[in-house]
Amino acid sequence: MALLTLKDIGKRYRQGEVEVQALSGINLEINEGEFAALVGPSGSGKTTLLNIIGGLDAASHGTTQLNNIDISALKEAQLSDFRLFQLGFVFQSYNLVPVLSALENVELVMVLQGRHKKECRQRAHHYLELVGLKEVMQRRPSALSGGQQQRVAVARALAAGPRLVLADEPTANLDSENATALLDIMHTLSHEDKTTFIFSTHDPRVMDRAERIITLQDGKIVNDQEHHHEHSDKHEHIN
Amino acid sequence: MNVHKHSHLPFWMLLTLAWRNLWRHRKRTIITLSSIAIGFGLAVLSIGIGDGSHNSLIRNAIKLGEGHLTVQPRGYLEAPANHKYLEDGLALSKSMQTLKLAGTIEPRISLQVLSSTANNSVGAALEGLSHENDPRGIMLSNELVKGEWIKPGDLRGIVIGEGMARKLKARVGSKVVIMAGKKGGDSQAQLGRVRGIFNSQVPEMDDYLIFSDIQFAQRFLEGEGAELSRQPVTRFAIFLDDPDTLYHWKDKIKAAVESKAVIAMDWQEMMPQLVQFIAIDDAGNYVFLLLILIMVVFGVLNTVLMSVLERAREFGLLRALGLSRRSLLMLVFCESLILSLLAIVVGWIVGGGVHLWFSQHGIDFTAMIGEGGNVMMGTFMDPVIYTELSWDRVTQLTTIIFIVTLASGIYPAIKAARVTPVEALRT
Repeated sequence: MALLTLKDIGKRYRQGEVEVQALSGINLEINEGEFAALVGPSGSGKTTLLNIIGGLDAASHGTTQLNNIDISALKEAQLSDFRLFQLGFVFQSYNLVPVLSALENVELVMVLQGRHKKECRQRAHHYLELVGLKEVMQRRPSALSGGQQQRVAVARALAAGPRLVLADEPTANLDSENATALLDIMHTLSHEDKTTFIFSTHDPRVMDRAERIITLQDGKIVNDQEHHHEHSDKHEHIN
Repeated sequence: MNVHKHSHLPFWMLLTLAWRNLWRHRKRTIITLSSIAIGFGLAVLSIGIGDGSHNSLIRNAIKLGEGHLTVQPRGYLEAPANHKYLEDGLALSKSMQTLKLAGTIEPRISLQVLSSTANNSVGAALEGLSHENDPRGIMLSNELVKGEWIKPGDLRGIVIGEGMARKLKARVGSKVVIMAGKKGGDSQAQLGRVRGIFNSQVPEMDDYLIFSDIQFAQRFLEGEGAELSRQPVTRFAIFLDDPDTLYHWKDKIKAAVESKAVIAMDWQEMMPQLVQFIAIDDAGNYVFLLLILIMVVFGVLNTVLMSVLERAREFGLLRALGLSRRSLLMLVFCESLILSLLAIVVGWIVGGGVHLWFSQHGIDFTAMIGEGGNVMMGTFMDPVIYTELSWDRVTQLTTIIFIVTLASGIYPAIKAARVTPVEALRT
């Protein structure tokens, strides 16, 4: 049974006088533990799709099921709680709360989940150590580099124990060294924690780290294939 | 889906975030706090001056007038007349003395008279005071410009104001014939001799009042048919040691002396014009207070709203991570709450400091109001005003500022809670 199932997802919105078809006929299944990349040119619908999966935006039609929960049927307050307990997010930039230290940022989501203070601290320490930020965890975001900030965001997303982590162009603002380093960390953690990752990118070096590449164009999935970067062999994915 | 788990922003986290957010723009917060504190200081000062001057006016009016409480014939205030008097002053005085009142009870006689010298005649009010302890006598004896105050047992001596002395062309030692109408239509007269002339700067007093010993005035009541052995008086003026006990003693005195013929009234009932004047003057102060409150509202609104508008993206992030709308609303509201609490603390340090200084050193208004400018409503205000602030005022001002600053945070909080994650994150 797939962790995530999208059925006939479509999204239209108005931009001034023009009606834009951002997504249409999206059918997708993602299994537990997958490390999948959404790729495609700007405006192909990557972010919109991630927003719909993350319950941040509503689809015009179709259903989204995560862990047997129909996200499309949830009310706003339920969606908010759903995101808190089921999902992890890594955004392109401005991921962190500026007035909180790296450690506190990682703790925040767990605190909101109602976890015990001690547990929050232990888990935050553990994940910050895993992303290699043990030495700087007391610093506020303004005292961290862009790469470090993104790693804090990854640690935050994973520490909260989500079923699925959504990352919207997490490396867009990073140089290639930091970008590949971040992807390596995400990849390792996804294997260790058996956490499912879906991230969008149009960076070929980042794509190379993905185990499955879903290509979007004009709001449609035009290609979906497994990708074993060790051997560079590709298998068509049956949709 | 049945969502069993809900997001929960613990109070300590709410406070941590709110406190740190408030100090994100240190300068802006300090400027806002300073402006509120200065406004608050001004409000405290203006209200302190208002209350100080009003209380000074009231204290003088009570001393010069008929005391904190007055016992007099029923109907006298509405239509004063020489034949309206308390026949048995002795009995009333005894029944009041049994109350063991904290203050003094002064018997007085007031009569409408005509005073004449060889040169002129003018209408006047003869005020018979019991002895030298009457606060009115003590106060006016300080305003004597010529001669001396009436000595106890001086049954001919009178003291008049400068205005009347001018009209009568009287000096110290002059004889003045004082004539009073009787109920039946006849008249009676007594001869007085001017012992002193005062100048209170209050024309209503200087032009109109003649002071004498109470026994001198009692002769007129005797002419009306009163028995001197029962010590007839027009009224008793009661001066309390502690003005705050007014209503306590008013009730007791009412119970002790009131009858069909006798009424006990407090100073507010005796001087409704003064009460009205103070209410109007207070209204002016409230307008000033309102302006300060508007300033405070815009100060808080500006600070919190600015910080909300520039954090739209951050709020979007928090909402995306799973912070509920309610928690976000609480967070921004908590920032306003902390700001208003800080404003009150800083405000009281500034306002309280200003008040303490001026309550000790006073503000000298002599130059501003000039000679005689401090006279109003038949009484006068001390030219040096010491600010006064009662606990009621402290509570009132604190509550108003607190509610107003807090209310200014409502709109920004609602605005923050309306942020939708997608739109905020897109910016």
